[in-house]
Amino acid sequence: MKRVEVLAPAGNLPSLRAAVDNGADAVYFGFRDATNARNFEGLNFSESEAAQGIAYARQHGVKANVVLNTFPQVNDPSPWYQAVDAAARLQADAIILANIALLRYCRERHPGLPIHLSVQASASNAEAIRFYQRHFQIARVILPRVLTAPEIRVLHDKVDVELEVFAFGGLCVMAEGRCHLSSFVTGVSPNIEGVCSPARAVRFENVDGKLRTRLGGALIAEYGPGEEAAYPTICKGRFQANERVYHVMEEPGSLNILEILPQVIEAGVASLKIEGRQRTKSYVGTVTKILRQAVDSYYENPAAYRAKPAWIRALNATSEGTTHTLGTYEESWQ
Amino acid sequence: MKISIGPVLFEWGRSALKGFWQRMAFESDADVLYLGEVVCSKRQSLSLSDLESLVHELAPSGKELVLSTLGLVMSEEEQQALQRLHELAVGWNVKLEANDMAGIGVAEGYALVAGPHVNVYNPATLDFLQEVGVVRMVFPVELPADSMVGMVRSARVKPVEFELFAHGRLPLTFSARCYTARAFRLSKANCQYKCGDFPDGMITRTQEGEGLLAMNGVQTMSEKVYTLIADVPRLPGLGIDLVRISPQSQHMVEIVAIWRATLDGRMDPEEALIKLGELNGGEPFCNGYFHNQPGMSFYRP
Repeated sequence: MKRVEVLAPAGNLPSLRAAVDNGADAVYFGFRDATNARNFEGLNFSESEAAQGIAYARQHGVKANVVLNTFPQVNDPSPWYQAVDAAARLQADAIILANIALLRYCRERHPGLPIHLSVQASASNAEAIRFYQRHFQIARVILPRVLTAPEIRVLHDKVDVELEVFAFGGLCVMAEGRCHLSSFVTGVSPNIEGVCSPARAVRFENVDGKLRTRLGGALIAEYGPGEEAAYPTICKGRFQANERVYHVMEEPGSLNILEILPQVIEAGVASLKIEGRQRTKSYVGTVTKILRQAVDSYYENPAAYRAKPAWIRALNATSEGTTHTLGTYEESWQ
Repeated sequence: MKISIGPVLFEWGRSALKGFWQRMAFESDADVLYLGEVVCSKRQSLSLSDLESLVHELAPSGKELVLSTLGLVMSEEEQQALQRLHELAVGWNVKLEANDMAGIGVAEGYALVAGPHVNVYNPATLDFLQEVGVVRMVFPVELPADSMVGMVRSARVKPVEFELFAHGRLPLTFSARCYTARAFRLSKANCQYKCGDFPDGMITRTQEGEGLLAMNGVQTMSEKVYTLIADVPRLPGLGIDLVRISPQSQHMVEIVAIWRATLDGRMDPEEALIKLGELNGGEPFCNGYFHNQPGMSFYRP
């Protein structure tokens, strides 16, 4: 049986090298514009940097996937088509696409370039996946964070494409590609601009010894002295509802599947994805290394696999809120 | 311009739902009615046979009926339900509104409406969807008017209708998690149908008391009601064929009448905004998305 792949994020060349040097089987990155959903300042790759990155990965037997996971805009779609052509020119191992227009263009112009269906396409079921496979011959689908591990196993038996799932990192609690919370409050949309909750819409205020975080003017959370403040996003905010003040959607923290790694691997997934192209090379290096160890430890003796406390501690230290969750992989979370 | 009544996004229960659709069919000025559950497959307020009898009861109204399907499809059961809805739509000769790519996949080739939850952000995507059956699309709620113009202009390969979400709490996102159940420290599996206690969603405010969201089971909506009534003068120039009014528990017949009068030029948009505001209990509206602003903001044209 083919071993599950450890897939690491790269926001720049140093992060890409950190991923490769720490045992990633594959890396993914995007170009420096609105064609990918981590369109933050100072991040991502020019075409020549992408060429260097792909060369470095190849030298070490590591695959490189190019991300183009936003939707071309009505008034100027050309950057998106140019980015597809660039990925083909660079001979990326795969291109990650979310939009039907680009899927069709890529399939017609670059039939040899394997397509991975982005999580932003929100294909969370066999019918949707088969639709994309029928028309665009996708090789892999990246699953939205909405399915439980048993549901992924059922899905695996129903479709004839590889499944990629999120294993660690920031947790979207909404169905990816179907969330307008950021644009509702800030005017900036993951689907349109490739950005969720942009830094320019964030404000930190000190009021009477308390720290308040705001997004687009809306109060997201208030922290007492010594409390660690999380980056303000709507889905991790503390609000009033049903006569309580609480995290109405989700607490800040990271997704971490190490405790149920065997269940996820045995569900038939092909790739374990680490979230965080916007994170530092030290984050990428640390998380890649621990996931590598965990996966290797599983294959050495699946029945004896246990998530080591040292792994969990090291991973918690990389994440805000320093807590973690199994998220939607566990039914009780829903 | 036609007025559609979007699918009921809330859990109102069987008799309230049936009564609502009777009123919309026989007492309202709407032209198109979207029946069917979009938010949560656990809600079974209208069984397939209820839907069938509803379609027969509403048919004499002469209004176009469309069958809406689930927004976030995950389980095998949900996919089987999609197939049954497709068969029913074929049998009744009504369009099917797909709100997940699964809906388009199941009913490929049939007369489809690409609902607001199918991401159609550019003309090339619409071109493809037309080839697989889409005859009407509802713009994503966050799409600004300027982009709609571009879509309408460049997507006339075949006749296709454009529908605009124009009034109601905005459907902002779906999740696997049920936020109404969570508010009661319950899980979705054991939700006790708490969403039924909130006929217009569970209001969520910031700690400063600002209305922000309305939680509706697995769906998150805006707390503010979105309305494009003040923007009516601009709509004909956009090439929009239908405006969608999303159901709320109160005043729907009056709201539709105000929209009809405004679209027909019998009521001034400013006056209509004031009247709708009164029906909205004086609470502020939002319309930002249309103006390329944050969705929660209100821009006075």
